[in-house]
Parts: sequence; C-alpha cells; structure tokens
Amino acid sequence: MDVHQVREQVEMGKIPAGVYSDPGLHQLERERLFSRSWQFLAHESEIPNAGDYVVRRILDDSFIVVRDEDHEVRVLLNMCRHRGMQVCRAEAGNASHFRCPYHAWTYKNTGKLVGLPFHMEAYGGEAGFKKSETSLASPPRTGITRGMIFACLDPDAPSLDESLGGFDFYLDLYMNHSDEGMEVRGPQRWLIQSNWKIGAENFSGDSYHTPHTHVSVVEIGLFMEPKANRRKEGALYWAGAGGGTTYKLPTDDFDKNMAHIGYPEEMVARIHDRWSTAQKKMVGEAGFMVSAATIFPNLSFVHNWPRVHEGAHVVPFISLRLWQPVSATETEVLSWFVVDQNAPQWYKDDSYKAYLMCFGSSGMFEQDDVENWTSITSVSKGQFSSQVELDSTMGMGDVNGTLREPLAGWPGPGEAHVGYGEYNQRALLRRWAQALSGQAPTNRKDGWRAPLNGDMARTTL
Amino acid sequence: MNEHIPENLDDAASVDAATHYEISSFLSNEAALLDAGHYTGWMSLLTEDIQYRMPISVTVARGDAGAEPLGGMAHFDEDYYSLGKRVARLEGDHAWTEDPPSRTRRFITNQRGFFGSTEDEYLAYSYLLVFRSRLDVRPPEWVSAQRRDVLRRVGTSLRLARRDITIDESVLRTQNLAIFL
Repeated sequence: MDVHQVREQVEMGKIPAGVYSDPGLHQLERERLFSRSWQFLAHESEIPNAGDYVVRRILDDSFIVVRDEDHEVRVLLNMCRHRGMQVCRAEAGNASHFRCPYHAWTYKNTGKLVGLPFHMEAYGGEAGFKKSETSLASPPRTGITRGMIFACLDPDAPSLDESLGGFDFYLDLYMNHSDEGMEVRGPQRWLIQSNWKIGAENFSGDSYHTPHTHVSVVEIGLFMEPKANRRKEGALYWAGAGGGTTYKLPTDDFDKNMAHIGYPEEMVARIHDRWSTAQKKMVGEAGFMVSAATIFPNLSFVHNWPRVHEGAHVVPFISLRLWQPVSATETEVLSWFVVDQNAPQWYKDDSYKAYLMCFGSSGMFEQDDVENWTSITSVSKGQFSSQVELDSTMGMGDVNGTLREPLAGWPGPGEAHVGYGEYNQRALLRRWAQALSGQAPTNRKDGWRAPLNGDMARTTL
Repeated sequence: MNEHIPENLDDAASVDAATHYEISSFLSNEAALLDAGHYTGWMSLLTEDIQYRMPISVTVARGDAGAEPLGGMAHFDEDYYSLGKRVARLEGDHAWTEDPPSRTRRFITNQRGFFGSTEDEYLAYSYLLVFRSRLDVRPPEWVSAQRRDVLRRVGTSLRLARRDITIDESVLRTQNLAIFL
C-alpha cells in the first residue's frame, strides 16, 4: 500500500482496511515509528531491590531493565558484545551480574564488562581488547516518569516529557495517587491475532463500542448502573501524545465523585495532595473521570469501577497495557494491574479482583474486544477488502460540514468533545501516517473540509 | 492468597482404587459439561467457598525458582461470585467472543488422588490439555496445564472446593480465557 495515499485517506477519516494487516506498512512501522518513539518497558515497582530485573522488548530488541547496586535503573541491550548471545534468558529475577552462557563474558548489572576468560591469552590483555571500556549496549534515550520506565531508539527524538506533551495532565489521574507512587502486578502476557493499532485506537476513544460490545457485562450486574448507555455523556479528550475517554460523574463535587466510584477517604486524601486544582476540577466541577486512554503509539490505560462482591459497592481498578507488535497481524498484549502503594490491603485485594474480572487475559470486557480485533485483522487481508475504506469520520461533520465544536471550559490541556466521536482514533492514525511518511507527529486538527459543490475537497498535505 | 497446593505429594497418602475411580469420574464428568458448554451445570459442581486460581507462569532462572516475581499476578483468581458472573455472562445471549462457541476438548490424564487434610476432602492432581477451535479456518489453540484440585464430599457426591492451575506457557497463545481450565 502506498503510504502517501494512505495518509491522505486517514486525514479524511477514511481508513483503508489494509492498514490493519499490510506487511509493507508494518515494515515501515518498524523502521519509522517504533524505532523513533518512546516505548514503555517497565514500572519501577517491578524492580524494587538492587539486582532486580525484568526483560522487555521493543519489537525484536530485547532489553534488560535492572536496578543496579547503587539503585540506579539501567536499560541494557540483552546481547553479548562478543557473539551476540542473550546474556539473560529469564523474564525476571535478581542478579548482580549477567554471564553469557556461550564464552562466559560477564557483565555487572550496570552493563559493564567485568569478566572475560583468558583476556591475556586470547587478546593480549587490555592492549589487545579494551575490556575496561566495554559494556552492554544501551538504548540512546531512556526516561522515567511517574515510575514508568521508557526507552527510545532514536538519539534525536524529543525528550520523554516533550513527547508526552499535554497528556501528562491525564497520566497523573492513572499513575500519580500518592507521594510514594503506584505499584504494579504482572504483566499477564498473551498473543492475539490482531494488528496492534486496533487496540490502541479502541482505548484512545471508542466509547461508541461499549453499549454493544460490552452489553453482556452490564447485563450480569457487574456495575451499579446500566452504564453502557452513559458512555455518550462522557467527554473524549486528546492532548499531546495521547487521548482518552471519560465517564460523566453524578455531582460537581470532587470528594463525592471519588466516593461514588469507590475510592476510600484515605486514598482520596492522598490524591488531593498529588493532583492540581485543574485535575481536581476535571473530576469535580466538570465531573469527568478518566476511563480508557492511549499514549501514541501503543501504550494504553484503563480505569473502571465494577462490583467485586454481591450487593457491594463498586471498587475502581487501573490497568496499564502495551500492544507489542509481533507482525502486521499478531500482537503480544502485556497487561499490568496498577494500584497506589499506600492503598489499604482490602482495597488492593478488591481492586485486583476488579481488574481480573474486567480486563486482562481472562477479563470479561477484554474477551469480547479481542474477538472483534482478531476478526477485523483477519478480514482486512483480502485483495478486495484491504482497499475498502472503513469509515472513521464520526464527529467530523454535521449538516454544515463543520467539525463539532470542542467543549468550552474543559479544565485540562488539549481538546475535548462530549458525546460519541472518532476524534482520537483519527488523531492516533494521523500521527501514525505522519510517522510512516517520515514526519514528526503534530497535533493538527482534522483535515476534513466541507463538501464543495458535491465533491469532497481533499486537504493538501 | 492462601498457600499453594503443593506440586507433589507423598505416594503413601494415595487414595484407594474405588476413590480413585470416583475422582476420575468426577473429572471426566466435569470436562464433559465444560466441553458441551453446560456452564450452569458446571457451576453446580462447585462449593460456595471455591477458590479457583491460575497464576501467570514466569520464566525464571533455576536460582530464582520458587520466587513469585511480578507481584504474584494471576490469569484467574476467582471465587464463587466472580465465577458466577462469568457463567452468567456465557449463559446469556451477548457474550460475543463465544458466539459462535469454541469447540473444545479437554483431555485429562496422569491423575493421582490423595487423602486431604480433612476426612471429607481429597486432593486430585491431573494434567490437562485443551484443544480449542474457533470459527472455520482459524488455526486451533492448545492449552497445557496441571490442575491441583481439592474435592470435597458433599452428601453422596463430590464437589470442587479448590483448583490451582499451573499453566505451561509464559505467554498464552489462546486469544482469551473465555474458557475454564
């Protein structure tokens, strides 16, 4: 598929279905998107102690994320500098050193090469091979925000904070609930026969699917109200690198709204100290609470509040997930449960249970989502189907052919709209198309213009 | 969470042949209900204090064996309430992921039965291989696991009071766990 033509179609909200399975586009994604964007690797709470490590990938690059003996977080390419063997073949553990199984080159958990058998006999010592100057490779850029460890393979990429832009306002609502921060459990990992973008788009803004896809979860009474239909009262926001969906809460009072969705008083008190006036205004006065969200390209969040016991009040949960591409048509999902470190134990237990019931490998929401995404991916492979334009224009135009106006007085950065719309899916795919055509992503508005004389006026790129 | 049911037990505590047969029949009957999609029937085999748990399997070095990394995450960590919700959903008309339903076949082998900690309980260990085929042309999925069950005698029949599942994959290759193992 021609990336420039695809980009033009995407700007119009007309998505050729082949973007969800085309191997050529996926190759471009590898070269121009995933090698240039900040990628989430791990959360600091996964490696609390010196020597703790997890192994994570950016597509086919394997990295060890380790806390060294000085408690610094290091990101090390999991490849011996000698013959390229993986120096760590576990997923997680604790190690002061990583020793290559092939020739026993041994690296400290800072990455530094400290052991090289027969250094003198084989190389003539330092004069022949500078052991003292050799380390495991590290990605050119690493960054941590709110305990989340990221890496970027592009030395010229903007900083992590710059890349996130205005989305960091919303990130606090998921990942900043106390001075000590959040802790994670997991990830659950599983493979789905789906293109990675479908999940990323869905989480970024598809409040429209909830009433139908997830009707079964409402029918079994997992929620205190028939919430699916209330999705249309929520706002969709996009700011900086990401966007998300919200639910409308019943009052204009922050504390009451937080209690309504199940946050106990002591947690709300800590959140009070962490969130800005504007963040509290979004949840209080404006009455919108974050639900699903995506940071472009492939990191998503979800926050919801089901019942975890018969007749009981609801309890919120937070999940963080990565849509890790394996190929154009296969994705590994890594899904973590997230909770405030300081939450009372009963809350951690109930919130974890809420997560498992709703999302993740066995989650009742996620089960139906994945069936949809697998099916879309599979059917988009056809010679004919791949060229068919899927309609992603929701919210782009009314009878006057103008964009629906953003919500006035929205307390956060970026733009928000109340009601159903595909603003965020378009924003995400626009960034994707920009990246694939070799451009830095921008937050341009929808490029669609009013029909002129019965023709669709295409925006010049 | 409670302690895990140990992965192995002393053979001395093995049940007699008649009890072994009873346990084996229970497991086969249960598999038949699940394969036929009779979820309510399956639910009736559970005690109300059921614990149903499947931790994630994490690839760790030998030296780290026994550790519970990644915060003790599970794929399933269920009680009677949450299993009941899952069953109610599957028995409804709108659980799209199982409509059309998967064709599943549960193969249960390597069964061992042991006397439990109380007179009315047995420990039943078994291997499980599930074949799952969805729709027409999708490649089938296999799930391999070990089960460690506590079966309790209630009246004249057995009920499942606890199931610990060890899944043999770190990264699941089945698209979801809309099936019970």
